Formats: sequence, C-alpha cells, structure tokens
Amino acid sequence: MKEMDRILLRFSEENVEEPITSQVILELGIPMRIVTATINSLGGDILVEVPKVHLKKIVQAFKAKGVVVKFPKLIEVNYDLCIDCGACYALCPVNAISFKEDNSIVFDENTCIGSPCGLCVDSCPARAISLVEQNRNNQK
Amino acid sequence: MAASKENNGRTIAEINQKIKSGDVQVVTAEEMKKLVESSGIEVAYKEVDVVTTGTFGAMCSSGAIINIGHSDPPIKIQKAWINDVEVSHPGAAVDLYIGASQMSETNPFEYGGGHIIEDLIAGKQVELRAISYGTDCYPRTKLDTVITKDDLNQFYLLNFRNCYQRYVCATNSRDEIIYTYMGKLLPRFRNATYSGAGALNPLMNDPDYETIGIGTRIFLGGAQGYVLGEGTQHDPGNKFGTIMVRGDCKQMSPEFISGGAFTKYGTSLYIGMGIPIPILNKGLAKKTALRDEEIFTDIVDYGVPRRDRPKLGKVSYATLKSGEVTINDRKVKVSSMSSLKKAKKISCILKSWIEDGTFYLSAPSETLPTNSVCNPMKQSDEIVLVSTVAQAAVTCSVDEDIKAVAQRIISNSVNHVVVTDKSGAIKGIVTSWDLTRAIAEGKTRLADIITKKVFTTRPDVSLEEASRKLAQHHISALPVIDRNKKVVGLITSEDISKLRGR
Repeated sequence: MKEMDRILLRFSEENVEEPITSQVILELGIPMRIVTATINSLGGDILVEVPKVHLKKIVQAFKAKGVVVKFPKLIEVNYDLCIDCGACYALCPVNAISFKEDNSIVFDENTCIGSPCGLCVDSCPARAISLVEQNRNNQK
Repeated sequence: MAASKENNGRTIAEINQKIKSGDVQVVTAEEMKKLVESSGIEVAYKEVDVVTTGTFGAMCSSGAIINIGHSDPPIKIQKAWINDVEVSHPGAAVDLYIGASQMSETNPFEYGGGHIIEDLIAGKQVELRAISYGTDCYPRTKLDTVITKDDLNQFYLLNFRNCYQRYVCATNSRDEIIYTYMGKLLPRFRNATYSGAGALNPLMNDPDYETIGIGTRIFLGGAQGYVLGEGTQHDPGNKFGTIMVRGDCKQMSPEFISGGAFTKYGTSLYIGMGIPIPILNKGLAKKTALRDEEIFTDIVDYGVPRRDRPKLGKVSYATLKSGEVTINDRKVKVSSMSSLKKAKKISCILKSWIEDGTFYLSAPSETLPTNSVCNPMKQSDEIVLVSTVAQAAVTCSVDEDIKAVAQRIISNSVNHVVVTDKSGAIKGIVTSWDLTRAIAEGKTRLADIITKKVFTTRPDVSLEEASRKLAQHHISALPVIDRNKKVVGLITSEDISKLRGR
C-alpha cells in the first residue's frame, strides 16, 4: 500500500461553499481519500489522506485557494495511565488499536479518525484516552 | 531419598528446602504448557517444583480496612468520607473500610474507593472527613484532616471476592449502546468483551483446589498476601471459583493496584494477583498444563437485564485472546477487560521471588471447598412483568382523521394512541400533546404529527427495565409489542406509579 499522510483542511465561512477539494483533485490529478467531513456555522473541516510523495504539492494547492492546512493530532493516549487491558480494542471501527507482541496496547494515530468517532474514549477504565479538540480559534 | 519421593510426590516442606538452598525449579504457567507440550508430563513433573500464575483485572468486591488512630478529643465515627467517597464504618471508633466500588459524591463514576486505595498506595495525601453524634467517652462530633498511608496504623486490602476462575464473554442484542460492568457494548452484537487470564489464571491451574486455601501465600498487588478462604459466590461446580484475600497495602505498588472507572456503571479496583502452584503430584503437573484452547466460557447477552441472561454459544479463551469471536455467524472483535500483559508480568515476578528465596510456599490449613453451591436470592417479592401491568392499547391507522383520534382519546380517557397498520404492526404513536400542538400549528393531517420512531417494550420484560427506559428517554408510555412488532398493549408511567403505590 502506498504511504499516506493525513491533513486536515479547514474551510472558512467564506469559502466553505466552494468546491475547492474537487478542484484540487482535478487540477493535480491526484486521488485523495476523504476520511471524515464536518460542516458547521463557522465553516468546515475535511480530514483527507493523501499520498506522502505528493504531500507538498497538495498542501500548496489548498493554501493557494485560501484553505488552512493542518497536520492534526486527533487522539491523545497517556500510556503512563494505560493498564493494557484492551477494553478499547474491539470498539475501534478503523482498527487503529492493536496489541503489540508483549500484549501492550498501541494506538495508530495515523489511522484513528478522531472526534467523529470517539467510541473508545469512555470505555477506558484508566481514562487514558482523550480526543484532541481541533480548536478553530487556535490556528497553530 | 529423592528417588522414593518421586513416586509419592513432593511436599511443600521439601520445596521450601529447595528454595532455601537455591535449587528450586520454577516455571510460569505459560512456560509449563510449553514444557509439557515439548517434553511430556513425566518430564515436566520431574523437573518442575512450582508453577506460577497471574491475573490482573477489575475486582469490585474489594476494599481496604484502615485504622486512622484516635484524635484528641476522641471521636466515635458515625459516617466518614475520604476524598468525598463515603467509607463505611463497620466496627469501633476509628476503623474504616474503603469499599472499591463506592463512588465519590462530587465526582461519581469517575472517582471511587478503588482510586483512594491506589492514591494512598502511591503515597498521595487524601482528605478525611467524619461526623458523629458524640458520646460520653467520645465527645467529638466533627473531624477534618489530611492523611497519607504513613499515618495509618493498619492499611490492609481485604477482598471478599477476587480472582474469578473464568468469566463469561459479554455482548449486547439491543438497538443501543449499553454500559455494563463488562464494559461498553455496541448495539446488535457489534462487539464483545471478556475477562480473565484463561490458562494463566491461578484457580484454573489448580481446579480441584488441592493446594489453595486458608493461609496460602500469594502475590497480591505487588506484595506478599494471603488467601483467607473461598470468596463470595464461590461456585466450584461450574468452574467459577473465587477467593477471599488479605494483603498489606503499605507494601503494594500502584502498578498492580489501580482504581478503574466504568462509564455509567461505577468505579472499581484493578488488582494484580498470582498464586504459586506447588507440583505435589503428577496430577498437578497435568492440570497446570491446561491450555487456553481447553477453557471454554459462555457468550452471554447482556442486552437482557435478567439474572439468567440468554446464552448465545460457547467460546474458548484461545479464541477470545485472538481478538475475534463469532456471534450469530458473524465475526466481531472482542475486547479483554483484564490485562494479559500484567498477568504475565505477575507470573514472572512471582517466579523470580521464589527463585531468589524471598518467597516461600505455605500449605493451606484448609483447602477451598469443592462442593459448595452459589444460590440465587430468596426474594420476598416476585418479578413483575410488563404483561401483568400493561393495558389494552387504543389504536388508530395513519390515514384517520385527526378529529376521530381526538375523540378516541377523550372517550377512552387516555393520552396515547398507537398508530398501527392493517396487520396490527406498530407504525408510530400520537399523544394528546401532539394533538394540542397540531391545533396550535394548524396541522390537520395525522401523518404530519405522529412520532414514527417509537420506543417500545415486550410483554416478558421486567417492570424495572420498562421503567428505566421511560426515565432514560423522558417519555410517559411504551407500546408493548410482540416478536412480529404487533401491538399487544401499552404501559404508562402512571400504571407503574399506581402499582408501586406512589
């Protein structure tokens, strides 16, 4: 499988109605996988997976059209708190949680889809998992 | 001497001699299974003196007894709280029991007795608050102080049901997520959970309790502890044995004792425990070779909140540990609620303690019972089912005139009319409030005002389950339907209140 990177495209109130994602795909001829998409009164967020080799080109194309591009951290796992029970394991719809050889739990942060899901968060008896809020006012 | 003993088996005293001289042969339960597989039982029996086991899981029937010393002037504690968690007062003036599943009054479901025990073991300060009525000898009526484990005279884990031999695999038939002591269960059998270390479990490796009983020295929470006897609900006939244990918390480590929070269920305590099984005879060598493939448990539907929940099949611990089970011909992922990593670590630590000569085996003064039974509760009331309380449902069809429905509400003195199709199957519900709103909003078609997504119940459901559904969804009635979705009645919160005499 091709190596993919994840980027979060942040659309403003002004440009959220424009078909920017489609335009970029057509212009560059590079397919992207839309993982999640949310739209609210402040604009919209689209989480996409893009081929690693074309990352730079794609980011530039979106930025040129006024889209804010972020490299999101969607989930935070505190491994100091984790007791490696695995209560979270079966809840993940995208198989981002797995056991290592030594039976410890590991999260694949590049597979996790974050806040549109969040099924694992309240299953953790050690409260080691938290979603990272993609705060719109805190444009890092 | 050694040759004659070979036929008669080993004694614990002989094993302890070998621990002292540094000649003891110890393997973990995991290693024992491999050894038997590769070399056979004869060789394993000859070579191995002790097999170490381990488990790490949520064990709710746990707690710690503490003695906080006397204040001046002294107090006979009537009620007490630590970090806002009520701690019970079972005895004299200043003895308190911190129950693992008692929840904080200010942060319920997130912090509880189990967390206090963990915090104290970790060396943290906790706030103790107590009240009393005051006596001639204990005049004090109020107490507020801050303590650590160093301020406690005694701080002992005293758990009355731990270390279940095996446990069921839980799943959920309902259309909604449920939160249970077996974790979060997705709707329509979309996941499953299980608990226990399987072939590493202490009791599983000595299923006839030949070596485990009152006084057996064990690994408990990172320190040495003791078995006090069988635990509550000990059920040897069904291979659901349990033990009661005691251990000195001051010697324990938070790595093997940690508080746990089960969303919408409550708090608990995760406990690490390991028992050394002395290989006294060939039978024990064989028993400790038991593999996950040979340990089976039931897949149980926790969507049915009754004492006897429906069983959906059997599954081995080998399958459970693979992370995937088959339920109703569909493969679903299964989560462990207990940590296999820590269970393995415990069996390794216990092994090293014995090898290092810091842990000696103890013979039980009485072994666990093998013939006791676990009976259900003797109830003075009988279960009340929805079918005994439900009334006949007043129904209408979707194409009826609003006025006709309104008239039916008045003539039957009801608030709910169930919408059905020609076959009597449920299509929606309309209430007197819906009709009032229709008038206010000028709506005239019944189809525009009915609620199509209706919460329903079944005749054979307990009244408690139906009441909970009403309360959870803030509604006042549930149509009662049969398996074909045909309406067979209606149950209202009013009917339930009347029955309860409120």
